[in-house]
Amino acid sequence: MDEALRTKPSSRKPKYSRFTQQELPAWKPILTPKWFITSFVTIAILFTPAGLLCLWASEHVVEIVDRYDDDCLPDSYATNPETFIQSKNTNKTCVRTLKIPRKMTAPIFIYYQLDNFYQNHRRYVKSRSEKQLRDPDDEDETDDCKPIENLNGNEGGPIVPCGLVAWSLFNDTYKFFKGNKVIDIDKKNIAWESDKKYKFGSEVYPKNFQKEGLIGGGQLDESKPLSEQENLIVWMKTAALPTFRKLYGRINTDLEANETITIVIQNNYNTYEFGGEKKVALSTANWIGGKNDFFGISFLAIGGVCFFVAITFILLYVFKPRPPGDPTYLSWNRNQPAQ
Amino acid sequence: MSNLHPQQRPDTFQNSSSQRSISSNSWRASVDFGSKGVRHGSRSGNDSEGFSMSRREINDDDARLVYVNDPLKTNEMFEFAGNSIRTGKYSVITFLPRNLFEQFHRVAYMYFLIIAVLNQLPQLAVFGRGASILPLASVLFVTAVKDAYEDWRRHKSDKIENNRMASVLVNDRFELKKWKDIQVGEVVKISADETIPCDIVLLSTSDPTGVAYVQTINLDGESNLKTRYAKQETLSRIPEKDIISGLIKCEKPNRNIYGFQANMEIDGKRVSLGPSNIILRGCVIKNTDWAVGVAVYAGRETKAMLNNSGAPSKRSRLETHMNQEIMLLSFFLVTLCVVVSACAGVWLRRHQDELDLMPFYRRKDYSEGKVENYNYYGLGMEIFFSFLMSVIVFQIMIPISLYISMELVRVGQAYFMIRDDRMFDASSNTRFQCRALNINEDLGQIKYVFSDKTGTLTENKMEFQFASIAGVDYSGEKTEVYVEQGGYNIQVDGQVWRPKVKVQVDPKLLQLSKTLNDTKSSKEIYDFFLALAACNTIVPIVVNSSNPNEKLIDYQGESPDEQALVYAAAAYGFMLIERTSGHIVIDIQGERQRFNVLGMHEFDSDRKRMSVILGYPDSTVKVFVKGADTSMFKIIDESLNLDVVRATEAHLHSYSSVGLRTLVVGMRALSVSEFDTWQTSYEIASTALMGRAGLLRKVAINLENNLTLLGASAIEDRLQKGVPEAIESLRKANMKVWVLTGDKQETAISIGYSSRLLTSKMSQIVINNNSKMSCKKSLEDALITCKKLIDVTSATDDDASSVALIIDGTSLVYILDTELEEQLFELASKCAVVLCCRVAPLQKAGIVALIKNRTDDMTLAIGDGANDVSMIQMADVGVGISGQEGRQAVMASDFAMGQFRFLVPLLLVHGHWNYQRMAYMILYNFYRNALFVLVLFWYVLYTGFTLTTAITEWSSVLYSIIYTAVPTIVIGILDKDLSRKSLMAYPQLYGSGQRKESYNLKLFWVTMVDTLWQSVVAFFIPVLAYWKSDIDSSSLGDLWTLAVVFMVNIHLAMDVIRWTWLSHASIWGSIIATCICVIIIDAIPVLPGYWAIFILGSSGLFWICLFGILVASMIPRFVVKMFMQHCKPCDIQIAREAEKFRNSMEVTRSGEIEMHR
Repeated sequence: MDEALRTKPSSRKPKYSRFTQQELPAWKPILTPKWFITSFVTIAILFTPAGLLCLWASEHVVEIVDRYDDDCLPDSYATNPETFIQSKNTNKTCVRTLKIPRKMTAPIFIYYQLDNFYQNHRRYVKSRSEKQLRDPDDEDETDDCKPIENLNGNEGGPIVPCGLVAWSLFNDTYKFFKGNKVIDIDKKNIAWESDKKYKFGSEVYPKNFQKEGLIGGGQLDESKPLSEQENLIVWMKTAALPTFRKLYGRINTDLEANETITIVIQNNYNTYEFGGEKKVALSTANWIGGKNDFFGISFLAIGGVCFFVAITFILLYVFKPRPPGDPTYLSWNRNQPAQ
Repeated sequence: MSNLHPQQRPDTFQNSSSQRSISSNSWRASVDFGSKGVRHGSRSGNDSEGFSMSRREINDDDARLVYVNDPLKTNEMFEFAGNSIRTGKYSVITFLPRNLFEQFHRVAYMYFLIIAVLNQLPQLAVFGRGASILPLASVLFVTAVKDAYEDWRRHKSDKIENNRMASVLVNDRFELKKWKDIQVGEVVKISADETIPCDIVLLSTSDPTGVAYVQTINLDGESNLKTRYAKQETLSRIPEKDIISGLIKCEKPNRNIYGFQANMEIDGKRVSLGPSNIILRGCVIKNTDWAVGVAVYAGRETKAMLNNSGAPSKRSRLETHMNQEIMLLSFFLVTLCVVVSACAGVWLRRHQDELDLMPFYRRKDYSEGKVENYNYYGLGMEIFFSFLMSVIVFQIMIPISLYISMELVRVGQAYFMIRDDRMFDASSNTRFQCRALNINEDLGQIKYVFSDKTGTLTENKMEFQFASIAGVDYSGEKTEVYVEQGGYNIQVDGQVWRPKVKVQVDPKLLQLSKTLNDTKSSKEIYDFFLALAACNTIVPIVVNSSNPNEKLIDYQGESPDEQALVYAAAAYGFMLIERTSGHIVIDIQGERQRFNVLGMHEFDSDRKRMSVILGYPDSTVKVFVKGADTSMFKIIDESLNLDVVRATEAHLHSYSSVGLRTLVVGMRALSVSEFDTWQTSYEIASTALMGRAGLLRKVAINLENNLTLLGASAIEDRLQKGVPEAIESLRKANMKVWVLTGDKQETAISIGYSSRLLTSKMSQIVINNNSKMSCKKSLEDALITCKKLIDVTSATDDDASSVALIIDGTSLVYILDTELEEQLFELASKCAVVLCCRVAPLQKAGIVALIKNRTDDMTLAIGDGANDVSMIQMADVGVGISGQEGRQAVMASDFAMGQFRFLVPLLLVHGHWNYQRMAYMILYNFYRNALFVLVLFWYVLYTGFTLTTAITEWSSVLYSIIYTAVPTIVIGILDKDLSRKSLMAYPQLYGSGQRKESYNLKLFWVTMVDTLWQSVVAFFIPVLAYWKSDIDSSSLGDLWTLAVVFMVNIHLAMDVIRWTWLSHASIWGSIIATCICVIIIDAIPVLPGYWAIFILGSSGLFWICLFGILVASMIPRFVVKMFMQHCKPCDIQIAREAEKFRNSMEVTRSGEIEMHR
């Protein structure tokens, strides 16, 4: 009977293949003490110098930060800053002097920094129309922009650019002087090329944008297309965190150590209302970006921890070794000590 | 062709207790199903119950009235189902609504739906339309395709079934009709080898005595023939000519295939009908030219269809535990949402005066003349909305995709189980079958194995081995000699007839039986073989063979032992050729002889023997008796030949000690007066209306005495290949193996020994009682004995301290479902081995339930016959053996295979793998989703609690669909923690599943703590690095997306044990796919993050950040893993190391390597 079956053509025996029998060739790494110690020592060796390097790089970045929102508020308005900032008649010019601690080599980046400003607020982020920014034909695509969509209700036509983001454009201005000499600020190429080319249309001109009355922020030059309004483009690249900087411009000359520079600020932007802070920052840059000690410290910490773990494990391994695959550790052998 | 469809109707076996409450009658009835009933036979005790039951009046309200041959009147009320069956769920039109309806029955899908709907409300629109619907749509689509395919297959088989033809009496002529058109009340005629289209009550058959032989293989899986009878009152009528009209009053359709109660009013007489008068749908008529019956149940009301509910849908233990953890996760989710909404409330409250003009909030709309609230609904509503929004944002905290991944993984695992060539049975040409797709991982946690014996442990192929005739043992070395030319055969009409099964013979005995002469020993041999050939209920069937000049005789009968004996007799030249109700024809060494069968007393469990009264051609009458040795020696006249009796007893002992099933044969010549006395009392007894069985038994006992001992036979029910080894492996794997068998105690014990279930060192406790009180007492005694044994021997050897409990079905009747259950459980859980003999099918289920309801341990039941169905369905995992008996067990099972020994690779290898894989996968999925959610959550804390996500909505959606879905599935299907070789060699490794080592609450919490750490690292490193910088949210979002995806993939990579090219491809492929997706998303100008990834990628800070995150996040895991491995290695870990370093180990520590106990 067996033979009859074997000769039967329709045997249903599964065809053998390494795949179906789950015997594919495989690399079977196993976590051994040697492996573990090696990798931890390697990490320690890599991270400690890397941390030092980061610290060193960060140390070489020169950064000056000056908070001016408080100081630029005249004492008479100290209790009601909102009146001061909302009024058209107050003098908002403010002069700050800063001392350069170390030599700053060009390019020196000028940032404005806002604290406690939630550019990542859901409503804020959504309140813009990408289509309208790109294409003059889509200027009516303002659904997402409420309530900053149309001027005076529906009669006035759409606001370009619409939405809260554009409406709240940062409008403080800075002028830099070395002594009496004006330091040129290069405000070109502060925005992403991709934004200028594709996101903000070169045919789209501001329209019905805020001029007077109740305004949220800066005004726009209606004669320039959006793609050239780089301060708007920078502003509209919404920041990820509630404390953020945005590039204001660049100084293309070196500033020597101990030089004093004067900044003349037009303090227009209202952060008093929600307790925000305004700062101006000057910073040089290298491969690590701006001044940032975090990486240096954390890398050193990681390196240190790894080193410590490696040492601990080596000690454990020396004093309490366990040969790999030692059958005496098997549960059914452990419960019954050797007979 | 199988008439039974594997559809799932979930209401199958939920209510076992109500099933059992059908009462013990049904158990007994089921044992006796069809087995007692050749016409002249005596009816055993059980039958008398059935008889009296059928005499009972059926209440008119509960009855179904069937007018014979009058379908119109019968169906007047249209209350009876037609004969068409429909197992498909959907039609083309109803598919979409119904399928969707059914899919949404699952909580998981409802969750998806609610989230998607919420997201459509403008106030809550967190994601865009497309992004929010994508997850739901993809899940629905995949499931719908799967369901549609399954249903299409069902429709196909329904169609074939409904369009089969049967001949039905229409206007006094039999016409062919499709099955689906048959109605209750119609008279149906079935020819030989045809399948019965609906449940019919027999009216007449081609046999003048009204006997029909049926095969019930499709119904209960038993391949042997059973006899059914037409009633005396109808059997002589020919339906075409002689119109039968009557009224059958029968019970409402029910699922009990072993019971039927009805009565028939015909010609003013009332005749009672019982289970032996009904043939059920799916049975096949055999050995009977035609049979005519009236349809009483049709279509879905037939017993076959009512029983055809398939395996109940089971949920795996792991999944049940997982659902508890998912509840915890939902709790986390709610906590996160509450935190967010509470904070949002506080924030709004603190800034309530500033909201009107705040540059990033703007509560009021000043654009129109009238100043009104814009999109602000008051503090309460705002809090409520932010709660709902946070649910939407954090939705993947509940890993819904896990359910789908799990289904896919199970399909993959099933594929490998089916394709495993070590679970392919060459002898029956069957592959492993995975019938249930949702309990693969349960196979790795089994603690109790309940096994049937016959056909599961044994091959259920009885083989005649030895004979002891008149005190002479013929057990020579016959295994070597095989009979030349294929054994004994006879010439009939120029054709060669030979028995279908060849039997190995003892050459000495063969020689003696060939040369019969008048010597005493020759006569004894003659009588012995005549007894074997005659004293049974076997029906010979002549079948064609491949050779046209040759026909095979197939001996059909209910008892495989009798078959073996008849084949043996045929091999020695005593070939049974014909059996009718009145006579048998036996070819004795080429000479045909006809014997009248004057009477037969069938086997019953009290007498443990059967007898047949033969009238010789020379009109002498002899009674032949065959039975168990214990019952036979009582009635043998020892004075005749004491030496022979003693010798036979010795032979029997030696036979049974090697596990053979023995029978003793005796004979007595009847004088005319004796015969007359017997005949009179037999007639009276067999026509008695009340207590017929008891009377017949009395008659039999009076007849069966003072016998001459002819000899004894030894039959082997061979154990299947590899059974002892398999049982040993299972027991080593710390599984308790229980054998539940319908066999008698002696056989069960002998099989227990030969299968190494019982060892001589074990102490046996036997419980064998007839009343509740005595059961109680023996249980109490047994418990004390057991405790004593364990106490005394616990210090010493393992095997000696183990106790084997042997209990029989009669005792179980008094124990199960009573307060004694508790004691039995207590006792059984102390015993290493439990053998239950003589148990009825529902008792088997009861025993399984006994364990299942009282422990948390997983149970597995394995069996091959219809009697195992209830147990298979009751157990957590049911395994069917697709072997000798039919397919009923397979139909009810979750997994089916050809041989018992495949249980070892199934559990130890596949079960172990499946469990490890699935357990890891669940934990990993929890981690993966929670990590993502936590990163989102931390960010929300920095956005004024407004649920902004830096990660784009598309990345959020694609995260669990593309970014991280494939590797976990691939690893879940392919990864192997240990090789097959190690797992088979050390069954103890199976313990990790039993101890739930790979998935438990502790691991869950450890995973969650790890997740928390990793999310903190992933979130805060970039935040601290980019604090006060000019980074925009899209860039930071991209950084987080990549960091999280890299992290989860590397996390997985660290846990992969076997890196095949597929694991490499899936893990690294996912990372690459993620990068590509992020790049594509950032190359779409209308999305806010346009070009962000390119700007980001060109800065060194980004790469440092990414690298730092990956290292810092993995360190704790890595350290904990290594320290655990070093200090508290688990078995799997050691075995894996041994696997990897085996060579070096054997060199350095040769001789000491002893992983066995």
